[in-house]
Amino acid sequence: MQSLDWLLLFRAPYGERVLDAVLTTLELSLLSWVFALAIGVVAGLLREAPLRAARLAATAFVEIFRNVPLLVQLFLIYFVLPRVLPLPLRQFLFAFGWEFVSAVLTLSLYTGAKVAEHVRSGLNTVGVGVRQAAMSTGLTWIGTQRHVVGPLVLRTIVPGLTSEFVTVFKSSSLAMTIGVVETSYLTQQLGLQTFHWVEASTLGTLVYLVCAWSVAGFMGLVERWTYVPGLLRRGARP
Amino acid sequence: MSAFANDLLALLGALVVFNVCLTASAIAIALPVACLFAVGRMSRRPLVYYPVTAYVNVLRSSPLLMIMFWAYYTGPMITGAPTSAYTAALIALAAFEVAYFTELVRAGLQSISAGQRDAALAVGLRPSQAMRFVILPQALRRMLPSLLSQSIIAFQDSTIASVIGVSDVFAMTNIISAREQRPIELYTALAAIFFVLCYGLSRLVRALEARVNARTAGAG
Repeated sequence: MQSLDWLLLFRAPYGERVLDAVLTTLELSLLSWVFALAIGVVAGLLREAPLRAARLAATAFVEIFRNVPLLVQLFLIYFVLPRVLPLPLRQFLFAFGWEFVSAVLTLSLYTGAKVAEHVRSGLNTVGVGVRQAAMSTGLTWIGTQRHVVGPLVLRTIVPGLTSEFVTVFKSSSLAMTIGVVETSYLTQQLGLQTFHWVEASTLGTLVYLVCAWSVAGFMGLVERWTYVPGLLRRGARP
Repeated sequence: MSAFANDLLALLGALVVFNVCLTASAIAIALPVACLFAVGRMSRRPLVYYPVTAYVNVLRSSPLLMIMFWAYYTGPMITGAPTSAYTAALIALAAFEVAYFTELVRAGLQSISAGQRDAALAVGLRPSQAMRFVILPQALRRMLPSLLSQSIIAFQDSTIASVIGVSDVFAMTNIISAREQRPIELYTALAAIFFVLCYGLSRLVRALEARVNARTAGAG
């Protein structure tokens, strides 16, 4: 085995590329998380909408994105979707950086489907009584969801969302397969080009660990800010 | 037989030979280890508790892809013994699932009331026997649904093995679609295959869950 050279990760030409790749991971994951939250809340609330078609559509969306491997979804959206679009639009997409955009799109939909499940199970804790009370004050169904049920559900599902937020970072590693130069891509490239695999994979793993642990810490704070008085906190003894 | 039917057969073959086998063997390795680790996670000895907890935390926070890199590239680089892509994928998937299964088994063990353990000790069983003959069988029944759900996720994750060069169903789809220039049909078919399998299995798990809940309700 060759001797270890940790400084390789910071020297030219790799130093700058490492920084770029880590930033891409952050950008990809955080953007996807923001969209996933929006998609998940809407899809989750729609699963009990007073409209049958809306319920069916939301259920179909959740089940499809939960039961197909993320890798297959990535290829369907990155590779197959543009093929059914007209040529000028396709060229525009690829000129616009379709690798990154399609990765964000896929990750948002995939994570959104999982968030929707948390939202749905959160609806059970909010209870029918609260919803009926809100409706009886004259709010419409949409108003009820927006002003009463949605905020309450979001606050009760924070602990569950923590693991999904961590998972976004982990899932973003698959974007390397469609050519997004993020941390995993760089790890493999560094390893294959320099054979300093130990340094490369240590760096890659550390990046994901730091992301995961920061997210867990941050969500712990969010949990404390948003906890609903009267409900059990996680870790509290019943 | 049409060319497309032939392609589908090739896909299903790769699915069974690589993905199903990979997932099944990874689970077969991971489950017993996870049972040991779960007991370690509840141990009061720091030399047992901290290493096991660290393992679970680290493995659950890193992407499976990164663990596959370690198993396929970095590990053999350190030991000097090259590993086949399949073996590396198996090691990585098993190591990854151990972390998830450990937490599920631990939750299952902790859901069994302390009275059961006390009763088992009172009739003269040793602590290890109480675990093996009284607590574990009940806990396993109760955590079966969540273990199966996690196994379905592991089955989906087995496609990641294609990144380090296992010729699984996803790699096979890439090859065939490049050769025949028919990506739309092939990737859609692949998604449909996974959807039918995973959705069907998850419905079964849900039915099982309802049964387990009905049976253990009130049993404490």
